[in-house]
Order: sequence, then structure tokens, then C-alpha cells
Amino acid sequence: MPADLRIPVTVLTGFLGAGKTTLLNRVLTERHGRKIAVIENEFGEIGIDNQLVIQADEEIFAMNNGCLCCTVRGDLLRILARLLKRKDKLDGVFIETTGLADPGPVAQTFFTDPEIREAYRLDGIVTVVDARHAAQHLDDGKEAKEQVAFADVILLNKTDLADAAALDRLEARLHRMNPVARIHRTRDCDIAIDKVLNVGGFNLSRATDLDPRFLEPEYPFEWAGLYQLAPGTYDLCIGAHSEGSEKECHHDHGGEDDHDHEGHDHHHGDDNELDIAFLPVALPTDSDYSTQSDAAQPAVTSATAAARDTAVQVFSDWEQSAKPGETITPGTILHRLHLDNGHAHFPVEVAHRGHYMLFTAHDVPTHLYAPGETLVRYIHDQDFRHEHSHDEEIASVGISLAGDLDGKRLNDWIGGLLAKKGQDIFRCKGVLAVRGSDKRMVFQGVHMTFDAKFDQPWGAAPRTNIFVFIGRNLSREELVSGFKSCMVG
Amino acid sequence: MNLAKAWAAQMDDYVIGLTWSPDGRSLAAASAAGPIGVYDGVTGAKLHELSGHSDGTNAVAFAPAAIGVAGPGSGPLLASGGQDGFVRFWDALGGKQSAEVNAGHGAWVENLQWKPTATDSNSQNPNLKMLAAAAGRKLLFLNPEGSIIHAFKDAPKTLSALAWHPGGGAIAAASFDRVVILDADDFRVQREFAYSGAIETLTWSPDGRWLVAGAQNNAVHLWIPEEDQEFHMSGYETKVRELSFSSDSRWLATGGSRDACVWDCTGAGPEGREPVALPHSTRVSAVAFQHTRDLLATAAIDGEVGFWRLTDGETRVAAVKLTAPPSSLAWSPDDNLLAIGSQKGGVLALRVAN
Repeated sequence: MPADLRIPVTVLTGFLGAGKTTLLNRVLTERHGRKIAVIENEFGEIGIDNQLVIQADEEIFAMNNGCLCCTVRGDLLRILARLLKRKDKLDGVFIETTGLADPGPVAQTFFTDPEIREAYRLDGIVTVVDARHAAQHLDDGKEAKEQVAFADVILLNKTDLADAAALDRLEARLHRMNPVARIHRTRDCDIAIDKVLNVGGFNLSRATDLDPRFLEPEYPFEWAGLYQLAPGTYDLCIGAHSEGSEKECHHDHGGEDDHDHEGHDHHHGDDNELDIAFLPVALPTDSDYSTQSDAAQPAVTSATAAARDTAVQVFSDWEQSAKPGETITPGTILHRLHLDNGHAHFPVEVAHRGHYMLFTAHDVPTHLYAPGETLVRYIHDQDFRHEHSHDEEIASVGISLAGDLDGKRLNDWIGGLLAKKGQDIFRCKGVLAVRGSDKRMVFQGVHMTFDAKFDQPWGAAPRTNIFVFIGRNLSREELVSGFKSCMVG
Repeated sequence: MNLAKAWAAQMDDYVIGLTWSPDGRSLAAASAAGPIGVYDGVTGAKLHELSGHSDGTNAVAFAPAAIGVAGPGSGPLLASGGQDGFVRFWDALGGKQSAEVNAGHGAWVENLQWKPTATDSNSQNPNLKMLAAAAGRKLLFLNPEGSIIHAFKDAPKTLSALAWHPGGGAIAAASFDRVVILDADDFRVQREFAYSGAIETLTWSPDGRWLVAGAQNNAVHLWIPEEDQEFHMSGYETKVRELSFSSDSRWLATGGSRDACVWDCTGAGPEGREPVALPHSTRVSAVAFQHTRDLLATAAIDGEVGFWRLTDGETRVAAVKLTAPPSSLAWSPDDNLLAIGSQKGGVLALRVAN
């Protein structure tokens, strides 16, 4: 496989004052001696001598019959074509966009024009976010949201000017909007250059960097908790109590991680039914996993993963109905609990001391009481709900599926999808296993334009497809079923 | 038809511009890296290497015959523009710079066009000897002594193409979304045309009837300014940077695809007519009709150069295959030599007897 010799291009976006120029000056200083061309919108802020700095205009036009999803930048086409003519090749190109710029046309320029596409490789879109003002910008208009959605790398800059809690909230928000971007916190854009250059932003080869939960396949349950239990009869309390009830179930979250059941307002299917599984988990009982010590984590992770896989099987099985008050026994059984206005109690008979994992189809308040009405805290819990975007119109969908894809079906599906929904899909990226090829297919797209090519062999790695969409009003169900329809067999 | 190699030379980088002196005795070739070679048109002997522009030369143009280097024994005057923002004037035979203007103040000088002049050079009109130079958003009219005759108000975006009306009374200038026609004498805007897209190149038909733009959105747009008509020919494989009219203004040759597409511009124009497609197997990189005769040369990036005669439909009369992708074509003033510049720095002069 020949190395990709194309010139890497980095697009810098971010609002005015976020720190784009600071970052640019940092990169140019550190890469002094390299031949880097900087294409910027206004002159005058690059503080490095002898750099090739070219002023650009924002000449945005539609390439194909006025289709808004194929807009490109005419000025960039002209400048990049001219830069190519020199035989001493550039080491890289930086394109700085104006604060309010839509990164779409800039990115699409690298997919649409054959001459540019042959010579340049869009390495990454780096978005600099001002920690003080970002929340405001994200609330105010679509530009900031789109810049976050397009990013491969987000620099959460000026961290010295924002308090820790606000930073955490902001980072969580950015992550919800774009879980694929790598987020780095910086002051004065002080960051190792290899975090912003040659990031291979369109290449998901470092898929392990992705938030594993984001890429998890769909599970038939939304929540699971791991409990350590002694033999006895426990009381499983589902839902919040109705008023005047003797036992308060909802006052305590029952766990160390503040699993905030009440915070979500999800109503799935019948509120008066809840499917659960109560599975024994193979974990030695002599260790104290509740400390969440680092040493205990691998054991917990592998045991809960095994339980999860078992639960997937159990949830596809026939259910056993249980009316309020009917006894539940742990085991590989799917229990369909009948509730009374979303609430009920069920005795749970535990015969053996050990660990148990409770899986619930919906994320509803769930509490387990030991004899004597003592709340049993779970020692670990996991949220299997996909991160639906509650507060942002921009969200993402990640799909991970093992197996081979049919090349033609994939092409038809993705071509049709982008033609129809391209306007709402800002970025999509994938590493795909296509039947008949031992190489990974690397797929990347911006709105309607996309590019797919085979890169390195899968080798010993499992042939697992990863596909990520970032956009507006995405339907996870539609994307997953479409993607599944491209699978072989 | 006979084709023979007249001479060949090698430059150190991409040949970005070729221009013949009006007497046909010298050829100047600009390399993208900056240096400009001046060659003997007949023998190919390198007369001078001019330093050109430090960050790269973008354009070269010999002045018309009426404008020579000042002083006794005057030779041809060469203008060049580059990425340093300067326009330079050169005594091509003396190998010396004669004047320079900082036209762009940092912005690239990308287009240079000498105002066409009548052969009669006795006119006292000082604006006769005039070079139009586009640098970024600026359009300047310069005289060969290096002073600015007129600086136009900045265009809203970078000026991407210039073309003098063949009569010399006006110049068309393209920037994003529009083309303006500016008066050469009072500098006012004569006409303004909107165009939705970015224009790469402009040309007029020799009779001055047609103004044509090659555009980045895979199209050619034609105006007949006198008749308030315009036509849009789309469907090219890629952006169109290559345009050339036949001397009789009938045929418009265009690149932008694997075929050179030639439109018949007689009468009502090309709309509704099938173009003549001159086949190449790779993307066409240059097209050039002879100045006064009827041969069309087309070059493609696989190195193929075809020679065509269109009088009886499509006829390829000759072809040669070069080892490097041709970047530019320039016929000598007498149409006997075709200079071909390549992306790898080659300059080849072919003798064409027809």
C-alpha cells in the first residue's frame, strides 16, 4: 500500500477571539523550516516571517446545478491549484476561516474538484472554542454548533478564564454534539502540535479513541446495575411511589454514582410493563469491588460484559409475566413485570451469596431493599441508552457492526442517503469491511460529497464496521436499518 | 501537414507562462518557481534568465510591437507579475529589469494584459501604452515606465481574469459572481454582468462580438454584450480554464473535459448546436488556435498534443506525444512555430508547416 503522499490540509475554525491566530502562530513557530502555506481571510496577524501567507476571499458557490450541498470555495480552488505548480512540495496547508464561516464549503472543496482531490488530503478540521463564551455562542446561532459538528479536534481554549464546573458542562455538551472529535483543554492554545497536525481526522483507524458507549450496538435494555447480595428475600421497587405511600423509594438514588433516574423523562411503550433480567454474575466474592479500586476494574468489566451478552440472549427469549408481589428468582429468565401506574414491588429470592446484575428495559427508578428495608446500593451501573440529544438539534449516530458489507448495496444506500439527507449530515466517517477485499475501506463525507478508498489490510483485526454520522435531525433507527441492509447475508 | 521539432529547452519548474515577442524572434517562458527564461525563437538558444519574482512568477506578457524598450535600438518589452505582488518590466534582449511597481502589496499579481494597439504608434495618447494588471482585488493600468495610470476601486473579491476587448477600448474583468467591462479611457464601468460562480478565465472573440468565461462550476458562459444576450454551456467534467477563438471568430475551443469541445459561434451562437468534440484520452490542459490561420492545437495531461482543422467537421491532421504533461501552448506571431510548455519545466518549439 503506497503511503498517501498528498499534501495535508488543516482547516481552522472558531469564533473571532477564540484563539485561531494564536494556534496558527504556535504551529508555524514549531514547524519553522517546513514549507507551510497559510490561507487566511484577513492579513496581518501572522507573526512569523518568511511564511507563505495568502489572502482568501470567501467565494462560495454551488458546484452542481445550484445544489446547496455541493458548495465549494472558488478562491481556494484557484489558490490551491496555483500552489501545486511548484515542484518543491508544500509540507502542509492551513486554512483559517472567518469566525462565522460554515466549514462545509471549505471541506467540500477537497472532495469535489478532481485536481485538488488528487493533490491534497483534508487532514482535519480543528475548531477552537472560547471557554468563556462558547455556551453563549452555542445558544445563539447555528454557526458555532456547525463548527463543533464539523470538528475532528476541538480545542477548549482559555480554560484559565472559566471555572471548573462550567468547563465540565461545556465539555460534556461539546461531546454530546460531536462524540468523535477529540477535545483538548488549552490555555493560549498551548498544545502539542501532533494533536492538531496529521490527526488523520477523516480516518477512524484509531477507532478505539472513540467513546465506547457511543459506538455500542443497540441493546434491548437501557440500564443495568451490579449488586453484591447475601442470601435472603429482597424487595425490588420499581418506579416512584404514589403519594401517601409508606415507603419512599425515590428519595435516594441508591448508588454511589448518582444515577439520576428522575432526570430523564422517557416513556417507552407501555408504562405498566417493564422487562427485566436478574442475572447471577461470576465474580469472586472475597474482593471488595465497591471501592472501585483500579485493580478490581478489569474483573468487573469482563464480568459485566459477559452478563450483558447473556442479557441480550435473555431479552430475546420468551418472557415470564410477574404481577406485583410475585416472586422473582435470579437466572436467565426474562421477567415481564406488571406495574400499577408505573410502580410495583416484587420479592426477589436470592439463594446464594454472590454478585447479580439487574437489567431493565427502560431507565426507570429502580431500587432494591434488603430485609429490614435497607437500601442496597449497586456497586457499578451502566447506562445502555444511546445518547439521544436532548438539548441540541445537532447530534450524532455511531454504528458498530461486525461482518462484511456488500459493496454495491453500500454504495447505493450511502449515495441515496446523502443525496436525500446530505444537507443535514455534516460529517460522516467510516472504516468498513467490504466483502472481497482484505483491506479496510475508509469512508469520509461532508454533506453530499464523499470519498471512499481502501487503505491498510485488516490483518488480525476483527472485521468490524464503524460508521459515524454527525448532523441535524438524524434518525438512528433509519441509519441502523439502512446500514444493516448493506450487510452480506 | 508537417511537424518538426525546432528546438527544446529545460527550465527548473512548471512552465506557467509562455509569450512570444511581437517580432517572433524571442520567446519568454516563466517558471512557477520564479525565473523567466528568454530564448531565441529560431534556435532556442537561451539569451537570458531573468530573476522574475521571488515567491514565484504567475504571468508574463510581451508588449505589442508599438511598445518597445525606450531608447535607441529598442528591443521588445516584457512584463511579468508574481506572488511578491510586483509587476516588473524587462528589456528582454538586454536581460535587464527596466521598471517595477508594487501592485499588490502582498497580494499575488495573477493577470497581465497589454492593451491592444493599432500598428500606428504615432498617437500622442499617453494611454496607448498600457498594461492592465490584476493583483488581488486591485486592477491597475500601468505604463511601461512603471507609473500607475489608473487604480480602480477595489473589486469586492479577487480579480480572477482579465481580457481586453480586441479594439482596445475596454477591458473585461472577472471577480467572484460578476464580470465588469471597464472603459479604457474614462475608466468607468460600461457594463456589469452577474455570474453565479467563480470565473477562471475570460476571452473575447477576435471580432469583439463574444465575451466568454470559463468557470469553476464546470461550465462556459457566453455574452454578446451588444445584443444583451447570454448563454450558459454546462456539463463539462471539470472547471474550464482553457479557451481559444479561431481567427474568424467562428469557433470557440474549450477544455474542461477529456474532449476538447468546440462550439460554433456564428449567427445565434452555440445554444442548441452540437459541439464538435475533439477526443483526448485524458483531461485537456491547453487549447490554442493559430493567430491568422485555421489550425487548432489541443494538449492533454497525458502529453498528447493534437492538431485539428475544423473546416470540414472534425479532422485531426497531426498529433505528437510528449513525455511530460503540457501546461501551455503559444503560437508564434507568424503561426509557424508552436511553443509548448510542460508541467516538468520543458519548453518545446515545433515547426508547423501547413
